[in-house]
Amino acid sequence: MKKKYVYILAFVIIAILGYNSVYFKKLSDVKNAKKENFDFKAYADSIYYKGILKSKKTIALTNLISSVKTNQEAAFKKYGNRLGIGNSAYFMIQSTGKIIDIKDGIYTIADEKNGVVYIDTKYIFGNALRDASGLVKLTDFKTNAQFNKVSESLNDIVRNEVIPKEIKKVQIGDSVSFSGAIKLSKKQTLFTDLLIIPSQIKLQ
Amino acid sequence: MKIKHLSLVLLTLVLVFGCSSKEKSEKPKIAVVVSTLNNPWFVMLAESAAENAKKLGYEAKIFDSQNNPAIESDNFENLISSGYDAILLNPTDSDGSISNILKAKTAGIPVFCMDREVNADDAATSQILSDNYSGCVSIGIEFVKELKEKGKYVEILGLVGDNNTWARSGGFHSVVDKFPNLKMVAQQSGDFDRNKAMEVLETILQANPDIDGVFCGNDAMAMGAFQALQAAGKETKVKIFGFDGAGDVIEKIREKKIIATGMQFPKVMAQTAAQYADEYFKGRKVFPQRVPVEVELVNAANIKDY
Repeated sequence: MKKKYVYILAFVIIAILGYNSVYFKKLSDVKNAKKENFDFKAYADSIYYKGILKSKKTIALTNLISSVKTNQEAAFKKYGNRLGIGNSAYFMIQSTGKIIDIKDGIYTIADEKNGVVYIDTKYIFGNALRDASGLVKLTDFKTNAQFNKVSESLNDIVRNEVIPKEIKKVQIGDSVSFSGAIKLSKKQTLFTDLLIIPSQIKLQ
Repeated sequence: MKIKHLSLVLLTLVLVFGCSSKEKSEKPKIAVVVSTLNNPWFVMLAESAAENAKKLGYEAKIFDSQNNPAIESDNFENLISSGYDAILLNPTDSDGSISNILKAKTAGIPVFCMDREVNADDAATSQILSDNYSGCVSIGIEFVKELKEKGKYVEILGLVGDNNTWARSGGFHSVVDKFPNLKMVAQQSGDFDRNKAMEVLETILQANPDIDGVFCGNDAMAMGAFQALQAAGKETKVKIFGFDGAGDVIEKIREKKIIATGMQFPKVMAQTAAQYADEYFKGRKVFPQRVPVEVELVNAANIKDY
């Protein structure tokens, strides 16, 4: 009889211990927690070093302008990336030229084939690089806020790691090769004042 | 006996075909539920949505939630029981509106959000939203340049429970916070309301009479800020920035009294939402969860285009 009580007591103790050591969570809660702990810096590093620098979407600026002039709709579809609805799209371009002016972080470049273009090394903000790369989908993230954090991390890499390292070597008169993101609008008829958010600037 | 049978068959046929022809003649009903009709911007959004739904051959009725999630909830209860077939929604609250959308979803009614995002990617059928973040990045850059990277400024936020408020603020701060000589002396909510923003800025000006700029989360508040600054005789010294692309602010930019705004396209959002509802009725069931609509910067340099 005593043994019976011992067994019951042992069972109750094990049940209490078991109940307190195992718990169940909703899968959606676990997924949400994972997103909140998402390492945006590491993700942006991978997008920049493994994606943008090796992007097959990057097109010579001359070819892009020529394509847009020939058939705007087709050029936007083939080379551009626009998330959602709007008149503009982002493009990854590359070109070469000579630095003719440096003022307030803007490098004025006499592009060999496309006239004067501008490289902005100061206002590296917004979604230009992320969207031009076409590597990040809106559906990869639960909210727009998370999606925009990717851009901020990507911009931080360019602003803090890429630009300072490469830009300090160049000065007026230098020939450089450069790549980066530009925004073109379908309303646009002229290709003057092209502003490039750089992903790379290198002495030639 | 045969006649009895024949009458029964005829009666059944009349009932069946009579009912089905009635069903066919009934147009699907679309409800347009907006956060408030006190703001002309939302009136335009609501009316455009209803107009587009009608153009597509549907009945459409507008419901006003008066910026109150409880009223929005009542609206949903009412339109679910009234047999509406789709809802074009401008939510009152990014979290609070989710349960209302889910109620409609359970009742088999698709919900297409317009302009305001809810914090769930499995509730609404689709969300057609302004790209507030990108728009406010552009405004942030303009702000930094106009203030020459230094000075004191005030931020007047919209409704704190609304995602648009934080997307706009986030885009703006992603730029401005990188410039250490720009100091935000106050950040307060003006609830997207002109009078509230005016009162808020009047109070802030008493403690901070030497501000150089005001960033407002919408154009109604930018107009309120302008009124407050005008009353204090500071409207030429303090640079004002808004967001929406409202007509009165566009005029003020033309007159060089407001520096810039972000042009949203409510008619595009309303049209897309109505079009999606139409496609849903015709059998499409998969839609992109979020569809950002581009926002364009309007300033003195390009005001002639608007």
